[in-house]
Amino acid sequence: MSAFASTGFGRSAITILVAAAVLLLLPLVASSFVLHVATIGFYYVILAASWNLLAGYTGQFSLAHHAFAAVGAYTSGLLGYHWGISFWIGIPAGVLLSAAMGFVLGRLVLKMRAIYLAIATWAFAETVHVYLTADYQFTRGELGLSVKPLFGSVDPLKYYFLFLGLTVVLLIGMRALIDSPLGYFMRAIKDDELRAKSLGIDTTKVKVAIFSLSSAIAGLAGGFYAHYTVLLSPQMIDFSEMAKIVIMVVIGGFGTFLGPIIGAAPVQVVMTYLQSWGEWNLAVFALIVIVLMRFSMEGIAAVFTPLWRRMWRDG
Amino acid sequence: MFSTELVAQTAISGVMIGVLYALMALGITFIYSIMRMINWAMGEFYMIGSYLQFMLVAWVLGPDLWWLAILISTAGVFLLGLVVQWGLIKPIFKKPPEMRDDYATVVTLALLLFLRSIATGLAGPNQFTPGSTLPIMMIGPMPMAGARVAAFVFALAALGIFWAVLRYTWYGLALRAASQSRVGVQTAGIDVLSVDRVAFGIGVALAGLAGALLAPVFLVFPTNGMITTVKGFEIVVIGGLGSIPGALIAGILLGLIESFGAAFIDSAYQNIYGFLLVLAILVLRPTGLFGERGREA
Repeated sequence: MSAFASTGFGRSAITILVAAAVLLLLPLVASSFVLHVATIGFYYVILAASWNLLAGYTGQFSLAHHAFAAVGAYTSGLLGYHWGISFWIGIPAGVLLSAAMGFVLGRLVLKMRAIYLAIATWAFAETVHVYLTADYQFTRGELGLSVKPLFGSVDPLKYYFLFLGLTVVLLIGMRALIDSPLGYFMRAIKDDELRAKSLGIDTTKVKVAIFSLSSAIAGLAGGFYAHYTVLLSPQMIDFSEMAKIVIMVVIGGFGTFLGPIIGAAPVQVVMTYLQSWGEWNLAVFALIVIVLMRFSMEGIAAVFTPLWRRMWRDG
Repeated sequence: MFSTELVAQTAISGVMIGVLYALMALGITFIYSIMRMINWAMGEFYMIGSYLQFMLVAWVLGPDLWWLAILISTAGVFLLGLVVQWGLIKPIFKKPPEMRDDYATVVTLALLLFLRSIATGLAGPNQFTPGSTLPIMMIGPMPMAGARVAAFVFALAALGIFWAVLRYTWYGLALRAASQSRVGVQTAGIDVLSVDRVAFGIGVALAGLAGALLAPVFLVFPTNGMITTVKGFEIVVIGGLGSIPGALIAGILLGLIESFGAAFIDSAYQNIYGFLLVLAILVLRPTGLFGERGREA
């Protein structure tokens, strides 16, 4: 135990598991609305954390993360809607398609300067958006695509446990990745790509791998999300969704492991309760982000770092 | 189906809209070449330009003075650009260099969200049109909507002025110098931060101009800048970041592909053909249309 707890990975894994154990008890006290908000919150934690893997750790800004989630959601949704194929095939198919799209896009763009990835993914996301709206006979467009619920009903309790489990597994997996040699390559690329290359790292290969992986995780989250919300619309690829993911990561702490986890929850909760304000809530959030960025770029995670150190008693 | 007239008409309308997309791409690429950052909120400046145009035409000047309204809208967006640069973008240089890209990206994304929400909050999700009293014009044997022809002529004039200012004025020289070396320009006694401010203003004013010109064609609503901005970014990938002729030629190429795709394949997918063109260019010529130097990291 003590040897395990002295590694960064071990400490993070223990903390995640303890937090998850506490969250397992939440349904005892919370109403089903709170559970619903929390479930959607887990969805955003997964998206934010997997985007952070790419943007925060590897320094490659993708602006299509929400689009990959939608690819995963729509793949499973459409397979079920048109051909009655179950989610057991639908969700993996969505993950594969997201990963494949990420791989192809990455191979084409990641050889170039980082800025081209952001530009190309932005165009990709809007193209998917336009396609889903335009081909409404197949995708049902703005009419909405109805999807079968995963557990027969939409009672949030089971989905809460499902998303909690999914989040824990994925977070521990991502932590393991960050602490692996590949994780060091990622940070090396972010710090100084030319130098990383000169030390013999095939930087393009690493970037493509991470981009495909983070797209696949988004597709996975999107697939489960589809079978929980039961109705999909192109609203899922509205650019404000992407901005939300970026804001969550930035408020939490860009390029830190804790950042997206602690950033996603407050943003999601506050946004849910501000929904009666309509569009203005996004304006308020945008202002908060601008102010945060103006004065400090470290996010909430910076507050926690000294606490974290003290907790494990190293200076 | 493939009559000569249809082909000619499709080609003309493709070139005409392509020049307007090029305005947008030029704004993006111009800001990038001076300030080394992407302004993600370009579409929102386009949107503001189109709202200004609508308000001026509908409430203040009337449809006959549309050309004056366009000048005022563009100037308004230019001034807003100066303010935004001063308040939001300039502080970028207080950040350590490795954080500047992240800062610029996040701040302009937040700006996008902010401006769009404000527009929806103030004007609602309604679609407006400033209308146009311009008659349908004949280009050769082909009829063209007057507003589109006017937009094309205005855009060409703006491109001409932009090029002439860059090429023949002292300030244009300063701008070109800043795009080559930000340090070098300072040693020549030029205040690079004030050059930045003007460059940002000009860049967003190009987007505002496109918005004002296209207001009668593509309607006015809070997210109307999105489609044109995406095309602007597609053009930048095709023509290369920082290249002015690249923006113009890629813009026309995109306009043509889109126009022919809409006429001969399916007009429902008009906004998708551009991305297919981007993929094709990336496969065939990874260095972009003009073999941009240093594009590959």
